[in-house]
Formats: sequence, C-alpha cells, structure tokens
Amino acid sequence: MNLIRNFSIIAHVDHGKSTLADRFIQLCGGLQQREMEDQVLDSMALERERGITIKAQSVSLNYRARDGQVYELNLIDTPGHVDFSYEVSRSLAACEGALLVVDAAQGVEAQSVANCYTAIEQGLEVVPVLNKIDLPSADPERVIHEIEEIIGIEAKDALRVSAKTGENVPELLEELIRRIPPPKGDPDAPLQALIIDSWFDNYVGVVSLVRVMNGALHKGAKIRVWSTGRTYTVDKLGKFTPKSVETEALTTGEVGFVIAGIKDIDGAPVGDTITLDNKPCSAPLAGFKQVQPRVFAGLFPVRSDDYEAFRDALAKLKLNDSALHYEPEVSAALGYGFRCGFLGLLHMDIVQERLEREYDLELITSAPTVVYEVVKTDGSTLYVDNPAKLPPQNEIEDLREPIITANILVPPQHVGGVIKLCTEKRGRQTKMQYLGSQVSLQYEMPLAEVVLDFFDRLKSVSRGFASFDYEFKCFESAPLVKLDILINGERVDALSVIVHKDNAYQRGRELVDKLQELIPRQMFEVAVQAAIGNHVIARATVKALRKNVTAKCYGGDVTRKRKLLEKQKEGKKRMKQLGTVEIPQEAFLAVLQVGKEKGS
Amino acid sequence: MRSAPGLDVRSNALSAAVLVEPPLSLYVHMPWCVRKCPYCDFNSYTAPAQVPQRAYIDALIADLEHDRDLVRGRPIVSIFFGGGTPSLFAPEEIARFLTAVQDLVEVAPDAEVTLEANPGSVERGLFREYRAAGINRISLGAQTFNPQHLRRLGRIHGPAEIANAVDEIVRSGIENFNLDIMYALPEQSVIEALADLDAALALAPTHISHYQLTLEPGTVFYHRPPPLPDSDTAWEMQQRCQERLACAGYLQYEVSAYARDAYRCAHNLNYWRFGDYLGLGAGAHGKITRAAEQMVLRTVRVRQPRVYLQRAPEMRLDERRRVAREELPFEFMLNVLRLHEGFDELLFESRTGVSFREVAPIMEKARVLGLLECVSQRTWRPTELGRRFLNDLLTLFLEGPKNVIQ
Repeated sequence: MNLIRNFSIIAHVDHGKSTLADRFIQLCGGLQQREMEDQVLDSMALERERGITIKAQSVSLNYRARDGQVYELNLIDTPGHVDFSYEVSRSLAACEGALLVVDAAQGVEAQSVANCYTAIEQGLEVVPVLNKIDLPSADPERVIHEIEEIIGIEAKDALRVSAKTGENVPELLEELIRRIPPPKGDPDAPLQALIIDSWFDNYVGVVSLVRVMNGALHKGAKIRVWSTGRTYTVDKLGKFTPKSVETEALTTGEVGFVIAGIKDIDGAPVGDTITLDNKPCSAPLAGFKQVQPRVFAGLFPVRSDDYEAFRDALAKLKLNDSALHYEPEVSAALGYGFRCGFLGLLHMDIVQERLEREYDLELITSAPTVVYEVVKTDGSTLYVDNPAKLPPQNEIEDLREPIITANILVPPQHVGGVIKLCTEKRGRQTKMQYLGSQVSLQYEMPLAEVVLDFFDRLKSVSRGFASFDYEFKCFESAPLVKLDILINGERVDALSVIVHKDNAYQRGRELVDKLQELIPRQMFEVAVQAAIGNHVIARATVKALRKNVTAKCYGGDVTRKRKLLEKQKEGKKRMKQLGTVEIPQEAFLAVLQVGKEKGS
Repeated sequence: MRSAPGLDVRSNALSAAVLVEPPLSLYVHMPWCVRKCPYCDFNSYTAPAQVPQRAYIDALIADLEHDRDLVRGRPIVSIFFGGGTPSLFAPEEIARFLTAVQDLVEVAPDAEVTLEANPGSVERGLFREYRAAGINRISLGAQTFNPQHLRRLGRIHGPAEIANAVDEIVRSGIENFNLDIMYALPEQSVIEALADLDAALALAPTHISHYQLTLEPGTVFYHRPPPLPDSDTAWEMQQRCQERLACAGYLQYEVSAYARDAYRCAHNLNYWRFGDYLGLGAGAHGKITRAAEQMVLRTVRVRQPRVYLQRAPEMRLDERRRVAREELPFEFMLNVLRLHEGFDELLFESRTGVSFREVAPIMEKARVLGLLECVSQRTWRPTELGRRFLNDLLTLFLEGPKNVIQ
C-alpha cells in the first residue's frame, strides 16, 4: 500500500493535461510507441474533437523510481470545464493528491481555482506544476506569484516542466511520489469500494471503475451494491494500463475496474459503495452529494417512431452520466419527448451530440431554460423548468429566479468589457480585486442570463483571456414574464421563454425577427408574433414562396430530377411540421441567438 | 417476404393493373454546338472543325438496328433531333438517317418530326432541304432578342438572325415551329422580358417554350452565378408573360410550354404522358415498356461523342436497367403532373402497371393540401397551387406507394 499513489491532474481546458498524461504513460511503458495515439486519456471521439475531457478515466502505471522501488501510480482524470465540476469532485474522492497544472504563459484560470479548492476541501495534497515552460512567452515567476495570490498555496518550488518536450517530467514523477501520501485504509476490514464511474459495455454489461477504500475484492467474490442491496458475482477485475489488464484481486488503496454481470443500468450507481455479501461493511462511504441540474431543455425526436429508441438511448447515457436528468414531456408542437436537465450548456451540447452520433437519432431541442421557483397565490411553492408550464399570471404570488455567484479572472486591460457585459446581464458586483497580472471579479447574476450566451460573450469581450466559474447561490424575486411565440396565430409551447420585464419588448422583437430570418419561405405566408398574455408585442411575416418548380424536364432527366427532389426532401427532414408550416431546428434555439451580433 | 395464403387474393387485387405498351417516340441526340453556352447543362460539346457527320449518322443507324428488336411491331409516332445543335448536320445526312428509319421500323404517316436549330447556324435555303428530308417541325433556340442578353448568354446570334431564320422556316413551307425564349436573365427587367415575348409573338410561331433561366450544376453560370433577378421579380415576369401569351392565343399546357390551336409538341407530350422512346446517339436516354415481361426498361448511351463513335453499337449502352416497380409511380408523376390536363387513373395503371389504389392515399394527401384536384370521376390534375409548387407535390410521391404487399 505504501507503493501506491492515487492522484488527479487539475488543469484548465488547454493547459496540457492530456499531453502530460501521455508523457507519464510513455515514461512508465504503459504503451508501445506505436500504440500511442495522441492523448490516450480522452477516449471518446467527441472528447478528442473538442479537446476536453468529459468523463472520468483512469490509468494505472508501474513506475520504477530512483529509490529502486516500483510504484503503482493511479491517475484518475478529471474534466476541465465548469459544467463538469461534479465529475471533478468524484474523481478527487478517489485520490490522496492532485497535480495543479498551470500554463506558464497564460497563468491561473478560474476553473482551476474552483477545482483546486474542491481538492483542498477534500483534504488532498495539491502539488503545483508549471507547464509549457518551453514557450517563449512563458513567465514562470509571474505565474508562481498568481498561484500564491489567487489560490493561496505555496508555489515557489513548483516544478517547471514541458509536457510537450518531456523536460522535467521524470522529476515531476519523483516529486509526486515524495509529496503525495500513500492511501490509508484497513486491508483487514470489510470491503468498502467506491464506485467512481460506471458505464455500459455492449458485451459485458456494466463496467465500474472503483477505488478500494478498505478490505479487498477478489475475482469470484459475491458482492453487494449498498444502495440497492442487490448482489452479484465478480466475473472480472482489472486495471487500465491504459490497456485493460485483468487481475485476481484489488486490494486496499487500489483503483481498477469490476465486471459483475450487472445488466440493469441502474445497478451500479456512481458514488455508491460495493461491499461483500457475506461480510458487509457497517456503513456506506460518504459518496457524493447529489448533483443538481441547472439547465433544462426539451428534446424531441424528429420522427415520432424514434421515441422508444430515444428513451433507451437516454437510459444508457444516464448510466455514464449521473448528472443527466430526464423525464417524459409532451409538447403540443413537438409531440412526445423528454425534458432533460443538464449541468450547463456544454453538457447539453455534448449529450445532444452523443445521442445523434452514437444512437443515430435526429432530435429537435427547445431553447434551454433554468428552474424558477414559483410561489402561488394559494401559498404553495413549485419549481418550473419549462416556460410552457408557468401558471397563469393571476395565480402567481411571487416568481423567483436562480442567482449564481460568478467568479471571473481577467487581465486588467479587459476588465472594462467584462464589467459592461456583467451589468448588461443584470449582474451585481460583490468583489473586485487586483492580483498581480489578473483581476478577480465576483458577481451575483441570474443564471438565466448565463445560460443564454454568457460564455461566448465573455470570450469575445476578453479576447479569450477571461476565465469563469460559478456556483448556485439562491432564488430571488424578479419581475419576470412569459413571452409566447405564435406561428400563424397558434401558440408554440416549445418557443415560450421567461424573460425579465424590462427586456421583454426588446427580446420579443429580436426573437420575432430572428424567427423570420430562420423560417424559410414556403408555400404559404407565415405570421410570427410575440405575445405576453393576450397582448401581441411584435410581429413579422415570412412571405410566401412564389413557386418551387423545375423549368425543364424531358426524357433524360428522371434520375437527376429524382436526386434533386430527394435533396430537397432531405433538407426538410430536420424541420418540424406545425400545421402547414415547416420550422427548422435552429428556430427552436433562436432565443440563444438573439442579441449576439450586438455583443462584440 | 411471402405473404400468407389468405392474403394472396388481396395482393392480386392490388397489383391487378397491367402495363400496356404506350406510344413510341424516337429521340436522336446530336451532341455538337458551335459554342457551349454558359447556362447549358445538356450533353453538348464544342464542335470540331469538321463534324464527323457521316460516321455519326452511320452510328445512329447502327443504334437503331441494335434497338429495334426491343420495339418490334410498334410504330414511331414522333421523331426529335435534339442537341447540341442538330442543324449543324447537313440535310442530306438527316435525309439519309430518316430513310434508314423508314427502312428499319414503321413510322406513323402523321408522325411529328422535329429538328432543333439555332439562329446563326443555318444557311440560306437550308430549311427547304430539311423539309424535303422529312422534317416537319422546327424548334428554334432564340432565347432572347436583346443583343446584350444574347451576348451574356454566350449566344452566337443577334436578333436579326432570329428573324431571318424564322423567315427561312416559313418560306420553306414548314409552318409548325417553336421558339425557345428564356426569362429572368442576368439583370433583366420585367419590361425587357415582356419585350422579348412581344418580339417572339410578332414572328407568329405555333409554339413557344418560355423558360425561366435556372442555374444548373455543371455549368459556367452555376460556378460563377450572374446577377439574376430576385424571385419576386422573376415571378412578376412569369405572370405578366403568361397573361400576354394567353391574350395572344397561346394556351399553356405544361410548366414551360405554350401552343396555339392544336400545335402542342407531340414528342414532348409523349414524354410527359410517360410514353416510350428510343434514345439514339451520344448520351441519349431511352425508356421502353415490355408488356410481355411486364417491365419498364431504361437505357443510356455513352455520353462522350468520341467514345460513342469508337465503340461497337452493342457496347454503347452505358446503362440498361429495369425500373423497380415501386419507382414507377414517382417517375410517372414527375412527368405527367407537369401537364395542366393531368391524367386519368387508367393512364396511371396502364403506364406503371401499379394499381391506382396504391397511390390513392398520397393523392388524397395532396388533395387535402390543395395541390391536386379530382376534376371528374377518375381524372386528376394539379391545381394552380400544385403547378406553382410542383416540386413539393412530387416530393410526396418519393415516399413510394403505401401498403405495398410483396
């Protein structure tokens, strides 16, 4: 046990975490050179494309240290995006330490700060590392100062490495062994294994990544999943090196995978405790606090016969993604679908892309919204995650929106733009602090405004230099109204939004204009209106198309004309038919696009 | 899948329709032009200094010898020389071909025999000789009378040549002729479009093909789009030109075709009524119904004139395929719904071999959408809306017939 080190790497999105992990794997001989695919750890195709880590992954490496001993290093990967802070905390729960990797040129970013605090809170040893030291623009002294100022941990001895060139990476491994403590735990106690992650494999069923906290787990053992009380027999145990290698046992302090013929996708919930059936532990591990989705949207299959497939796909995604929530929703406009809850917009994008890519579904997404707290005149309180379900105005005593605390780090020259943006987004400044080369801003801001397009706008006003992290603060009363959209006089529930009263007219105008632009001209004129209650506040018309006919068609044209029409039809596939009107998917997200042009 | 025995009766009832051999036309493709126009997506090529007329006509005759077994005993109701510019061929070569046709197959005594000609490619006295060769209809590619637009379209002729050509046609004794006119030309105004039409009407053709210029893939215009009038302007042109054509006594019978009295183009009508045609020459398409085998055959000859000329007749077919039964309803509609007259259910059944009941649900859907109307017991035709949105109407038939029991 003294030779085991369990650790994570905390780093901002492109500060070089994956490259560093690859170096470790290489140095420890985990893979042959020809097997090294760049950034092994980001294994989902989607992750590789976006260059970010979504799911926790792990790799066990055998490292022969300079003291002559062979150490088992378990690297448990953490995602680097603000949407996924929940995933970070469960990765960290399996570790005794973390490397804080900071880009020596760019300096500290807000998400790393947040993740670092999570690590410190959980009692982890945090080892600061300066990466990208090979860059001409690297300024290690400044960045060390930032780490000490902003995060408040000592960093003057931080190792300066280049994951790209490999410089000082061996020294980093030595430092890691020295500074990060070995796991504690009682090998003779009843088994307690923490489920860090579970995913569904089509061949073997559920695979769980676990960290053994106490006791040991053997192949063939009869295990019990604490929350369900159900028992299974362990078929396979193993480690990822990063290739999967089977072992006979996982002992205290070790990290590895368990396959136990769990077919039911709810059978191995993340954060749960595995123990032995015949010698159970007395209490479960602390696990993780339940994550609250903050952003909601309706997802509907374009073809109604895809509903069943859609439901199954969500159930499978849910196993790997405990942050994803969903429940059935029926929309008058879009038919049967699911109301899904996400951690944030990126999370929503990723889920939608995975559904479309991995499950071959075509989906229409309604505009994302936050949860509102509604106190009704009869005294009851309800939470509304769907604008269409907001009670009528006269039944509402108080309407409250979620407020977040936003932490922003930005270089001084961009502070003005960021402050202007936050004010425009109805933010209230609570703190501003100059820290060396960065300014730390704290705002209280309605989450609804952040959901809209805050990330993109923040990027553009700061030329990409600002970083951002947030946490939920409270619900707060606000003068909010429901803005409805009518197409040819019919209210389209999926297009309703809840907006601040002061912005309602402008938002209505913008939405209607955007829809006019997005809805293609078609056979008949389309009237688009924005209304608050029965009061129409904006109107626009999509003029009817004059004709859609091919001028010439003779004997030789059959195949070509067929292809042409098939193409036309293909273009309409992603459109939703509302009465005689065809509405493209983008229209349902129009609310996200309004006001963008004025941003930069 | 085999249907259960109990279903056989119903399945027979549904597929009771029988393919009947329709009228047969002959299409002859002449692939060369003096110059390729930037908007043209037909299979045409800039003519070499010496067009191999003799060799090409020999090849056409060999094609017909090769194909005639497919259509044995069926009379030819129309012949159409299209291109390219068929009038680049000397009258004696056209005559030699038409004589060979008479020898090889039966030609109906009143068959319409059309030759496409371009103003500027015909010499004096030529039409008289074409007429002697057996041509009784000319389709003249006038396109526009505006010198600027003619240049813009890459045409080699001027407005004077159009008038001269028409004069020649009329004096040759060919009274049945068509003028091709295009509208929505680059930077064209509504007034200019109407002026073109007036100029055409002044020449008193029996038939006018009035096309909107569209940018087709594989053309110069497609890759470097000229500034075309917007869709609202193009629509105004169409409406005002249609009014004028109607006032002048030209009846619209298809998307772009207008005819005086009984001068509808028999050859094109046969396409649009889903009739049969043999396709001879480089890149020519053919469609042949075989009643005995209850199938429809499509043929395509090799496109490149050089390759076409090199190959033996039996090697010139690039494609010869049986049209799948479920594709026939769409193909039928693609053609027949271009016609204002529409069609009756019997025509559908005899030309496709598919029971009308199989498309009835789609017909009904189109009727509810206001795209089709049922004018008498079993006759259907596109409504005004259906004619304007023909592509949307046709798309409905891409689903394939419903309730097909196989």
